[in-house]
Amino acid sequence: MNNRLTVRKIVIAGVLGAISILLGVTRLGFIPVPTAAGNATIMHIPAVIGGILEGWGVGLVIGLIFGVSSFLNATVPLFKDPLVAIIPRLFIGVAAYFTYVGLKRFNQLLAVGLAGFIGSLTNTVLVLLVAVLRGYLSSGVALTIAVTNGIPEAVVSVIVTVAVVGVWKRIGSGRQTSKVSRGVEGEKLDHRRAGD
Amino acid sequence: MASAFELTRNMTIGQYIPTDSAVHRFDPRFKLVAFGVLVLAIAFCNTYVGNLFALAFCLALFPLIRIPVGYGVSGIKPAVPFIIIIALLQFFFSGSIAPGGTLHFEYGVIRITGDSIRLVIVSAMRFVEVIFLSSVLTFSTSTTDLTRGMECLLSPLEKVKFPVHAFALVLTIAIRFVPTFAMEMEKLMKAQASRGAEFGSGEWWRIIRRTKDMFPLIIPLFNLALTRAEDLILAMESRGYVPGEERSVYTRYRSKGADWGLLGISLALAAVILWLP
Repeated sequence: MNNRLTVRKIVIAGVLGAISILLGVTRLGFIPVPTAAGNATIMHIPAVIGGILEGWGVGLVIGLIFGVSSFLNATVPLFKDPLVAIIPRLFIGVAAYFTYVGLKRFNQLLAVGLAGFIGSLTNTVLVLLVAVLRGYLSSGVALTIAVTNGIPEAVVSVIVTVAVVGVWKRIGSGRQTSKVSRGVEGEKLDHRRAGD
Repeated sequence: MASAFELTRNMTIGQYIPTDSAVHRFDPRFKLVAFGVLVLAIAFCNTYVGNLFALAFCLALFPLIRIPVGYGVSGIKPAVPFIIIIALLQFFFSGSIAPGGTLHFEYGVIRITGDSIRLVIVSAMRFVEVIFLSSVLTFSTSTTDLTRGMECLLSPLEKVKFPVHAFALVLTIAIRFVPTFAMEMEKLMKAQASRGAEFGSGEWWRIIRRTKDMFPLIIPLFNLALTRAEDLILAMESRGYVPGEERSVYTRYRSKGADWGLLGISLALAAVILWLP
């Protein structure tokens, strides 16, 4: 996937960013888990999906939108700190993209699932790491949150990512879409054009 | 139960109400900077007096933009239960996470200290203030102006090859689609409910069940969003949109004396909020 800016990347980033904001504003993106950190979240999933579909740049922008909206919506002092709320979120889509690209030669579905898993873990680990470094949480509390929130988040992330990307890319059903600008076919065409 | 399906009604964020007040006519670039300055000041303010001052000031802004205070205040209604739950959690448990201050009460993990009481009150006030400020900003500035203003403010970044215009466009699309997706989500919830699905009826401690309830909403929502994205891509490409091309704009912002005045006032207010004991 080349890194040229396309209409497709801009629109997908905007649309998935909208989902991230919507999940935050309506509180549908929170899974209530009774721990000190409050809730587990599924708002990082748009960043993961954006990263897989359109590359690390799109993942990064959606992560930024997620970070800023979680900063603005935050009710706990932990996420009222832009260092905790925004910076770690930038890497979610980036990590997901590189996991996917690294593994897609072996098995598409497996790569998508693992990308969902790694993307979610990136969020958990980086946020908690920064929180500990900034002195909001002790490392013991952070470890507990990593288990109680991080694992459900990762599981949900894998399920949703595989379902959405699997359906969207028609992995396994054998039918590829015919649109020029879409998915695998579009990439091939791009290369051909570049080779001319 | 019926209210569980109404996602769009309680969203005051992002609403633009054209009352043509003095605040409406300020340059959006300056409004954004003033907003940023005040939010930062509130975020770093840890005292009761400072926060009371900020709260009073935020409330005073509503008459200034010719919007009834009651309407502005109603924007925090959906957040109230959430604020209360968080405040209670902080009240009982934050003492054990961040020990400090005079100890008032201790029983097992429950520790109430002077610091934790202040944390609860201050962070609840802060939250309300930020909601008020951002509603004032969005009531008085249309999304087009907001994103255009942001684009102008970020334009120095173009020197380091950062695609400012594309970024502003991403933000515009994101903000534009939030209400659309909220409506889609309502439709999805009603469709699933009419097939016998239940939302929000499970007890809160049955986490797995409640999580599973979400899948039939989230996954179709993503697919709908991607389908809409395809349509938009097609529409933009067929109108000849090329990212990164030189573009002209319909209106140009020109700063007036009043805009610099706004900036000065917000800096002065921020200083007062931070310096109050």
